[in-house]
Amino acid sequence: MTGLRHPLSWARRHRRSILIFAAGGATLGVTLAAGGAIVSGFGLFPADAFTPHNPIVARIAHWTFVRSVRHHAGDEAPPRFTPEQVEAGFRQYEQDCVMCHGAPGVARAPWVTGMNPGPPYLMGAARRWTPAQMRWIVANGAKMTGMPAWRVSRSDQQIWNLVGFLEAMSHMSAADYARMRASAQASGAAPKSR
Amino acid sequence: MIAPRGAAPRRRASDGMSAGRKSDLPSRSPRTPRPNQATLALLAMAVLLSGCNAAGASTVGNAEQGAVYVDRAACGSCHVIPGVALADGQVGPPLSHFGSRMLIAGTLPNSPDDLTFWLRHPQQVRPGTTMPDTGLTEPQARDVAAFLYGLK
Repeated sequence: MTGLRHPLSWARRHRRSILIFAAGGATLGVTLAAGGAIVSGFGLFPADAFTPHNPIVARIAHWTFVRSVRHHAGDEAPPRFTPEQVEAGFRQYEQDCVMCHGAPGVARAPWVTGMNPGPPYLMGAARRWTPAQMRWIVANGAKMTGMPAWRVSRSDQQIWNLVGFLEAMSHMSAADYARMRASAQASGAAPKSR
Repeated sequence: MIAPRGAAPRRRASDGMSAGRKSDLPSRSPRTPRPNQATLALLAMAVLLSGCNAAGASTVGNAEQGAVYVDRAACGSCHVIPGVALADGQVGPPLSHFGSRMLIAGTLPNSPDDLTFWLRHPQQVRPGTTMPDTGLTEPQARDVAAFLYGLK
């Protein structure tokens, strides 16, 4: 090379280092893939729900879910929810959700503690997610978590009602929730849709 | 009823997660049998990722086991809990430095017995609190208490 700087002169000068780096990267990739195949193929992965996730696996899985929701959910949502929608959403929540997700002052069913990943309490859901994102999660569910895609068995209207209730629940005390339960009981059991 | 107890939550300095215990992990003294590589790696990972609360020695219960119950009971959907993956809830107070707190729920003195009771029956201690009864058994609640006291 003379005094002129060829655009690739850096690469030429460091050719050896680059090759070593690339070879190292390739070796690492092949090793990881082979390791994964061995763990899966010999049945070594603890696929049971009792063994907690490795924290790294848990973080990657959760991150993947959050990114997926943000990518797919869009931002379409009604500007506000009517009290009737919130009331209907509450009845839907009592029927479909409370056993796994709890409520203010209300525990989840005991067997839910055996799920992995466990369903979260949703008092803070409206803070984590937009209404459009909550609608998407309820409608489409979450793979390998036990959360079903409710669009299969519930109407769009029912799902939006539920989102309206989730919004309302973020401002609810345990006493508020108990009151809603009492008044729903007093007005007779809601017709169940199965 | 819950009798306030005098016992302070602070544990002896020799308890639990002293540096000596942590450094036991990777060392290989000649008298100890060679630990299985995978177990060693997993342990190291667990210690690194759990903010060193995996030590587990406590007079209250087993802190390491307690961390598992904290995860299963979904405490992290309402509380920020150092050392527990994805525990970033903003509904209740953060549980960082819990081992140094004076009161539980602004009501009970922070003693191991009262904490164990609170963890099982928050609705009895403070009727109307948003925190639901956790469904933890007494030994499980003691393990969770041990874990919480590890959060200095």
